Amino acid sequence: MPYSVLHERLETILSLLGDKELRRALERAVRNAEGKHLALLERYPYLEALRRRAKRAGDAFLERPEELVEEAMESIRRNHGTPHLARTPEEAREAVLRIAERTGGPVVISKSMVAEEVGLRRALEEAGLEAWETDLGELLVQLERGRPMHTTAPAIHMTVERARRLVRERLGLELSEDAGPEEIVAAVRRFLREKFTSARLGVSGANSIAADTGTIVLVENEGNIRLVTGLPPVHVVITGVDKVVPTMEDAVAVALVQAAWAGLYPPTYLNLITGPSSTADIEHHRVYGAHGPRELHVILVDNGRLRAARQDPLRWQLRCIRCGRCQWECPVWRETANHWGGPVYGGPMGMGWTAITHSLREAAELSLLCLGCARCDEVCPVEIPLSSIIRWLKSRAHQG
Amino acid sequence: MVLDIGTVLKLLRDNVERTGLPVPASREDLTGWSRGLDLPSTGETLLYTGALYQLLPRIDALARQLESLEKGRAGRALFRAAGRFGRLAGLAGLVLRPRRGDVEYAERVLRSIVGLLRSAGVNISYDPGLDGYSGVLLYDLGLDSDFRRHAERVARALQERGPELVVTVDPHTTHVLREVYPRFFPWFQVRVRSYLEILAEHADEVPWLEGSAGQVTVHDPCFYARHLNIYREPRLLLERAGYRVVNPRRWGRLTYCCGGPLESVSPGLSRRIAERRVGELRETGARVAVVMCPICLANLRRVGGIGVEDISVVLAGRVRGLAV
Repeated sequence: MPYSVLHERLETILSLLGDKELRRALERAVRNAEGKHLALLERYPYLEALRRRAKRAGDAFLERPEELVEEAMESIRRNHGTPHLARTPEEAREAVLRIAERTGGPVVISKSMVAEEVGLRRALEEAGLEAWETDLGELLVQLERGRPMHTTAPAIHMTVERARRLVRERLGLELSEDAGPEEIVAAVRRFLREKFTSARLGVSGANSIAADTGTIVLVENEGNIRLVTGLPPVHVVITGVDKVVPTMEDAVAVALVQAAWAGLYPPTYLNLITGPSSTADIEHHRVYGAHGPRELHVILVDNGRLRAARQDPLRWQLRCIRCGRCQWECPVWRETANHWGGPVYGGPMGMGWTAITHSLREAAELSLLCLGCARCDEVCPVEIPLSSIIRWLKSRAHQG
Repeated sequence: MVLDIGTVLKLLRDNVERTGLPVPASREDLTGWSRGLDLPSTGETLLYTGALYQLLPRIDALARQLESLEKGRAGRALFRAAGRFGRLAGLAGLVLRPRRGDVEYAERVLRSIVGLLRSAGVNISYDPGLDGYSGVLLYDLGLDSDFRRHAERVARALQERGPELVVTVDPHTTHVLREVYPRFFPWFQVRVRSYLEILAEHADEVPWLEGSAGQVTVHDPCFYARHLNIYREPRLLLERAGYRVVNPRRWGRLTYCCGGPLESVSPGLSRRIAERRVGELRETGARVAVVMCPICLANLRRVGGIGVEDISVVLAGRVRGLAV
């Protein structure tokens, strides 16, 4: 049926316009997040130069994607890591499952949109492995059996009341009647401590990967990424090939810009991971597997990205650093969260990403809900012509 | 009940194909506003209205119909049935009852624009036979082949007439003529400017009334502010006219949409966005929000709660000897 995806999604959206809990949650969050990047730019003017650098780094990927991916894989190998190129979500899941079947569980995961994209957590659970999201928002989404509603704030649709209910009912944790965020965070921290220490495998995403050094850069505030990538004996990175940039300098710039435009700057932690942990303290003999992981695997997921890199205007989406700024500022997303979106990616950036990684048809129909107001273009730190991509997608919505 | 998008789009495409307009309207509806103004039909500076102001009372009537269909249970079925029996145009004709006040206001806007340009010493011409619709809604909805077919006729007519300058009156027509036509038709080389840009350049020549005119807030339309970088001009003009401008929380290049472009896909969502914007405009404490786009005018007025006036009417009221 023509426009069936749009009709189906509109049914949901119209019913959500009266959802008081969603309204309340979005009201609080958007007020806090909106325009934050502008205040940060005023306070830290050098972010402007970093933003330009991040944009250039993205352009470098678009100019020679295969070459940079190859260079990154070679650098990872040189540092005793193991790179994998996964062409499809199935290949990505299989690569992780092969490792997980060897290590066993529990598996601890730090939030990764690409892990969501390939359906990793579900695959691990179906393989009988205990798998836990460790980012609080993503854990709440896991408990809800839902999907992320914002790129950097996945549980943005939930009020504290809902979070309390989920933690109490699904994790069986004791919370006082009117437990606020502090009490919930403390309870979840206690619960996850045991998972971190017993985990055999840690899975993370990546904000960027430096092709010249093979370094994985990860920015965070919760501290869960440090534990996921540092405590278990094996660390798997799962990320899109588009995260590869030419140099370490570029990779750090991308991560810092991501944090600033997400509105969380300075970030509490900036992690740089180049190969598995090692020591050469005894007779200068290098031993891999010191206090951190002894194995590092990097799964670079293609899933339509390399093909999109040759397709104008969709290719510009690959410059995206997933800060979610366009979502905070979009009038449609403001009312719908990621319900306006594909299975993983929503809002302005979600149209392009859904077209690249999931279904062009679906993205094209959903794009008809875009106002064309171009507020997203105005705030994107890497100057992705989001409204042009979306208008191009609209023109695909009417084709047979 | 969500609207049947396929039928809404078919209605729009059929209308443009048949009449050159997105909703049914007569030539008189389009050009009657210019009667008695003694505008020359030829000249170096040609006014092209793009018809949005004139059509808005009709589009608004349709939007109200769509909104009640979306709210009702039978919306999709009714639309499908109309589509199946090929009576879309008839259905549209039946339901479109523009409100007299809206029609008169649209005429007043266009007459004010002409009055303002004349008071600034700008000689403009207007050819009722050439005026029409740019096809912008087709472009915005991604209906590219329909847009190309329609817009090529408009572009050819303007190109052949060959004025030095085409003056537009709304942001959507300005954008599509200035930015989109040259991309679709590289041979289209007509200079296009909004009347607000021209008026701002000639602001010193306008005989403004003296004294304070009070306080207003300004709702920047997305297509002027972001796509065309026009947001200083309206403020300059309002201040010259004696108004004190209080900007809403989001203005200029970060202005917030009125929700209008979604009215044909989801009136409910469109209204929600408009309500949010009206809330921000009210927060300024101003009793009047000045707009400069017919879509913003209709969508924000539909919500109510604050006076919404077009900038042309607001400015014209502050020019000595200008009665429209």
